[in-house]
Amino acid sequence: MKLQVNGKVYEVGDEKGRVLLWVLRDELGLTGTKFGCGMGICGSCTVHVDGKATRSCIAPLAVIKGRSVVTIEGLSKSNNTGSNDLHPVQQAFLDKQVPQCGWCMSGQMMTAAAFLKGNINPAEEEIIDAMSRNYCRCGCYNRIKDGVSHAAKLIHKQT
Amino acid sequence: MYSKFSDRNEHLEKKRQRYNWRITRRGFLLGVGVVSAGAVLTLRYGIPSGRLGIAKIFEKGSGPPVAMPESPLSWFEITPENDVYFFVPKVEMGQGIHTSLAQIVAEELEIDWEQLKVVSIGTSENFPNSLTLTSASNSVSSLYTPLRNAAATVREMLREAAAKQLSVPLTSVVVNKGSITALNDSSPNLSYGEIVKNTLNWVEPAIKPRLKKSSFFNFIGKPIKRIDLLEKINGTAVYGYDARLPGMLFGAVARPEILGAVLIGAHSGNAKKMPGVVSVVIKDRFAGIIAKSRSQAYSALRELELQWSSEKELDSNDLEDMVTVGKGEGQIIEHSGRPISKLSRGNVYQAEYRTPPALHGQLEPQAALVTVKKNKVEIWVSTQNAGGVRSAVAKALNFDSNSIKVNATYVGGGFGLKSDTRVAVEAAILSQSVGKPVHLGWNRKEEMMNGRCRPPTHHVLRGRLGLDGQIIAMEHQQASGDVLLKQFPVFLHSVFGVDLIGAARRAQIHYLVKNKQTTAWWVHDLPLQTWSWPGLGLLANVFAIESFIDELARKAKRDPLQFRLEHLGSDSRSIRLQKVLNAVAVKSGWGKSLPKGHALGIACCIDVNTVVAEVAEVSVNKLNNEIVVHRVTVAIDPGFVVNPAGAKAQIEFGVILGLSSTLIEELNIKDGRVDAENFDKYPLLDMSKTPKIDVVFLESGEEPFGIGEPPIGPIAAAVNNAVSTITGQRLRKLPLRIV
Repeated sequence: MKLQVNGKVYEVGDEKGRVLLWVLRDELGLTGTKFGCGMGICGSCTVHVDGKATRSCIAPLAVIKGRSVVTIEGLSKSNNTGSNDLHPVQQAFLDKQVPQCGWCMSGQMMTAAAFLKGNINPAEEEIIDAMSRNYCRCGCYNRIKDGVSHAAKLIHKQT
Repeated sequence: MYSKFSDRNEHLEKKRQRYNWRITRRGFLLGVGVVSAGAVLTLRYGIPSGRLGIAKIFEKGSGPPVAMPESPLSWFEITPENDVYFFVPKVEMGQGIHTSLAQIVAEELEIDWEQLKVVSIGTSENFPNSLTLTSASNSVSSLYTPLRNAAATVREMLREAAAKQLSVPLTSVVVNKGSITALNDSSPNLSYGEIVKNTLNWVEPAIKPRLKKSSFFNFIGKPIKRIDLLEKINGTAVYGYDARLPGMLFGAVARPEILGAVLIGAHSGNAKKMPGVVSVVIKDRFAGIIAKSRSQAYSALRELELQWSSEKELDSNDLEDMVTVGKGEGQIIEHSGRPISKLSRGNVYQAEYRTPPALHGQLEPQAALVTVKKNKVEIWVSTQNAGGVRSAVAKALNFDSNSIKVNATYVGGGFGLKSDTRVAVEAAILSQSVGKPVHLGWNRKEEMMNGRCRPPTHHVLRGRLGLDGQIIAMEHQQASGDVLLKQFPVFLHSVFGVDLIGAARRAQIHYLVKNKQTTAWWVHDLPLQTWSWPGLGLLANVFAIESFIDELARKAKRDPLQFRLEHLGSDSRSIRLQKVLNAVAVKSGWGKSLPKGHALGIACCIDVNTVVAEVAEVSVNKLNNEIVVHRVTVAIDPGFVVNPAGAKAQIEFGVILGLSSTLIEELNIKDGRVDAENFDKYPLLDMSKTPKIDVVFLESGEEPFGIGEPPIGPIAAAVNNAVSTITGQRLRKLPLRIV
């Protein structure tokens, strides 16, 4: 089947039971999307499917067919060749020095980016509600909250 | 980031010449074998194992002695392009040490921040194995002075070489931002790269290099931004789970459901016929699959016919019973005055505390990529223990460890778990059997059911108050599953007697009490695979002691803060502890009015020479008895802070990790199995339960102590003590639950 990721079309096998995460990581080499639990609980594997935050570890390929996938590698405009072209969420996470070990951060940023598309003026409670299903074992939660709030301001400046 | 330096060792194995830069493919490399004034210790690599290294560190509470490379020059490479490579044997797992350590060397090298490139070196001929162990909050504290000396030595050698090139006396050359100028001379600046390019013979400094005065610091003590974050934000950072090689295959390894069971029989069954399967590997107590994809490997694993030894099917209650004061091997680890006779009369208060086993919960499961060739093994792994991985793989494959190179990738959460070497050994066995690179990444079920965990603990505390409300005598008896001692050579078991530096970390009573005693019991036959966890025994011991002290304060009808201050001595650590207690009280508004239903709880500890006090502001939801932590205030004196921004992040980590254990985490055992396969049955703290965290730094000296773990200590007791104020009820078991 054809799989569209970050604007590129790939030909991948569509054997039964395959999930998006492992195709991205092990077949397409897009290892920026992380594996954490395989049950859609921790949020480390979050990507965008047609703009919606989606847990790729439980997303069957069959469901992704015909849709557009964006991963952390495609979140910035220029495929991350330099710091100037970071997505506002990435820029905000850098400005606020959010990550520690970094493993959960692709998922955090993909969740935040999709959330902010629908709400560019989020209240603190709305950020907490949107981000509370993404685990961070390094305890960066307050920084993530600040990062999302700062990203909203950066998006405002852009528009 | 690391692989391009894998040829480095080969260069270094060649003949060792004194005072020579040798040409490498990338530029010039300072010759090894120079023993300069900066060299601190000359323990050879290999001899002191990483674990013994831990022992030494923990015994002292902080810092040296840690074996250092023979040459301080092993740390650096300066290229003609004026780049300075800094080789770091410690891994970056979120603690920000690659940045902090870079600050230290940039300071003494007098270079531009942009010149410096940090390389995770993994195992190397240039570094003792013990230096590749990243643990015990000691990366910055143990390397602070040795790295300054090493960098200053190199700077002085560059100055001497520059003086020769410029034909001026040494006293008239000055360094500034990676270049050297002669005073009162019109000749142009020489960059370090130019000096390196034009110098053949290098002169060892005759005297120990002078270190910079702290008032001139440009990097140390500054909140410099993390050097690893751009990669972590754009998705390019490579962790062990992300390691890739052309033609690599994927592995899966059979594991038991029942704790303690071992493989006693295995047959490949239908596994070989499954799609994508390349090989089925059955060896002594080991069965694994190699396949073209990860999911194919796991699917085939289910087709193996396996027979496991039968073990007792224990429950959590059985484990609690096994971990009970008085059972196992006990030893007095602290004694003064006549505690037992003083506690045999008068009004003696007694309380028992317990903590359950808990998981590391790191979000990157263990993972390694290994390629075994005829005479050579190369490994990419998420590890805190590259040297240990090398030794373990050498033993498993019967290889000379010098033929094994371990590349230490970024680590997606280590928390002590990733000093375990199993995943690399398993991947190595699989790779050897097919002669191709094999990647093995555990899944969450394996992490939970077959991983390692923090041991359960039991604490019996006794105390007697005088008529003046002061403590006459106090005793802490502690039983715990093993943390570290079982990893030590057997002869050391009798040397230590109990797990002094692991499970008993900070079991001692840190208050001034004339008659006191601490006894530890070492329970080393649990079916659980107990292991290092951040702070080792710190969380459990401080939870018990600091909750009990609060109980005594209330019995004495004293303010818990005042009671603590009154029981601190006049030694320097006690004075520092008083200062952080006072600071946390001021910052948290101790004694001031609070929103209705809220209460403050206080607790403190000493750990790795760092002192820390915390206040938690708590309320209890009356509908469901849920404990809500609104705000945590931390006052900490870690001696000296190299990077305040990084230090604050580390403190937030400690508070949140400890809070997750305080409120939620508990590993249950049922019918001999871990009763959790994923986060649905073993949830972690999330953003909705995260309090505001305020931090006050007090710096009492010029040397940094550890900062990653100490803040984990007081949090459980601080919350518990606040809950007690609200409910009038004393909870004595983690996670805290109001019934």
